[in-house]
Amino acid sequence: MKSNLVLLFSTAIMTFSACGQKDTNIETPETSIDYEMVVDGLKIAWGMTFLPDGGMIITEKSGEIFHFKDGEKQLLTGGPEVYQRGQGGLLDIILHPNYEENGWIYMTYSSAEGDDEGGNTAVMRAKLDGTQFTNKEVLYKATPNTTKGQHFGSRMVFDKDGYLYFSIGDRGARDENPQDITRDGGKIYRINDDGSIPQDNPFVGEPNAKEAIYSYGHRNPQGMILHPETGEVWVNEHGPQGGDEINVIKKGANYGWPVVTYGENYGGGAITDETSKPGMEDPIHYWVPSIAPSGMAYVNTNKYPSLQGNLLVGSLKFQYLEHDVMNGKEVTRREKLLEGLGRVRDIKEGPDGTIYVSVEGKGIVKLVEKEIEKTQE
Amino acid sequence: MKLIFSFVLFTFLFGCKSEKSKYTIAYASLEETSIARFPEIQESESYKRGKEVYTDFCITCHLPDGKGIIGTFPPLDGSNWLSEKRKESIHAVKFGLQGPIEVNGENYNMAMAPLGLTDQEVADVLNYVMNSWSNSSEKPITLEEVKAIEK
Repeated sequence: MKSNLVLLFSTAIMTFSACGQKDTNIETPETSIDYEMVVDGLKIAWGMTFLPDGGMIITEKSGEIFHFKDGEKQLLTGGPEVYQRGQGGLLDIILHPNYEENGWIYMTYSSAEGDDEGGNTAVMRAKLDGTQFTNKEVLYKATPNTTKGQHFGSRMVFDKDGYLYFSIGDRGARDENPQDITRDGGKIYRINDDGSIPQDNPFVGEPNAKEAIYSYGHRNPQGMILHPETGEVWVNEHGPQGGDEINVIKKGANYGWPVVTYGENYGGGAITDETSKPGMEDPIHYWVPSIAPSGMAYVNTNKYPSLQGNLLVGSLKFQYLEHDVMNGKEVTRREKLLEGLGRVRDIKEGPDGTIYVSVEGKGIVKLVEKEIEKTQE
Repeated sequence: MKLIFSFVLFTFLFGCKSEKSKYTIAYASLEETSIARFPEIQESESYKRGKEVYTDFCITCHLPDGKGIIGTFPPLDGSNWLSEKRKESIHAVKFGLQGPIEVNGENYNMAMAPLGLTDQEVADVLNYVMNSWSNSSEKPITLEEVKAIEK
């Protein structure tokens, strides 16, 4: 009888723990990851990229751009003019895959360009001449401008074929933008490195379509990687009070926002009861409650054995670095690293394998894996 | 025994469903929690516009109930910083805030980036915040007051 009770109770507990992705599921790390400060004195370092000479370029949300090398931080001038409002600002920065030959640097930012009031997300490429940006070309500018403060996106990656992918959030117009391919916002875009549109993009030739769109039905993707083994583009995106997601981007696919979501309205109240629908892609992972994910890195290096082959995701809300242990496309274990570190904005693996993490109000730190002390039996 | 069994059955059936509704309860709606001590402010156009600004710019961190997250995002509801530091509050909303502050005895050291609001929006959102939940402030923030605050 007694053993029956135990069995029943443990079944009940297992049922509870199996169903949600509540934050009770996040575990204390089995690894010992610490950090060291690399670049301090930054406000909100939104993006970072690594130059072949061992330096780093850092974008501040406020619009400033810094070059950092050998402990010296230098202000770069002539970057894009930024529309400062809400979550807008200077956002991501990456290098062209053939940067050493052509010198192109790509930046995303919120821009007031255009006639109407407000702003929207733009992509620019430019070259660096000393400490000055030159040869500036705006490759994409989303329309219309709006004074809404939310959801500009915007991360970028180049894939193995040299296409540039970038994200734009729904710009606070969830019922107008994400499900409409004739409107910007709530999309992942794919363009050529010069801003022209690949002729095999999924909506080329459709009436009034924004032909740079590659996938739609997104809310606000602020993390993006090129998976080094599969060559796929993966994004993470913010859900509304629950329902943050990791999605694997497929050509022409609909990721469902706001028709299906695990989130709900701020202040309570359902957006929809549905979390899945035919014709809409399910996330490979979702978070309830939201961690507010920003930045994402796939750990390719063998410099951190415990992290290799896994994902790192920043949490703006809970101020830690999340280590998602992966088995293919499945998150098999979640670990909270560096709890209390601060609002994690971006994560990148540097050319030598060192992993850099940008923390709001702090600066950029690098991860250090420590030997785990084994207790003697 | 029967009781325990039905508990387990209940768990099986409803264990997963409870997730969403729990949050609905946790975040009471904006109206329910506010006390209308100065109805003329709460019925003003400034307050109404301010509520929209709040929903757009502030709600993700300070939350619908204005309570923030202790130690991370300072509360606005019942905040002594807000009620005692009128000029600093305007300055923070107008230009952003960096560095350590103490609110209701808790230390906070987070960056609030400049929001890019117009002076009118700064006044509006402050009028909303200062007269919502348990907050009440007799003297509305005026556009002139916001204009006078310099970086």
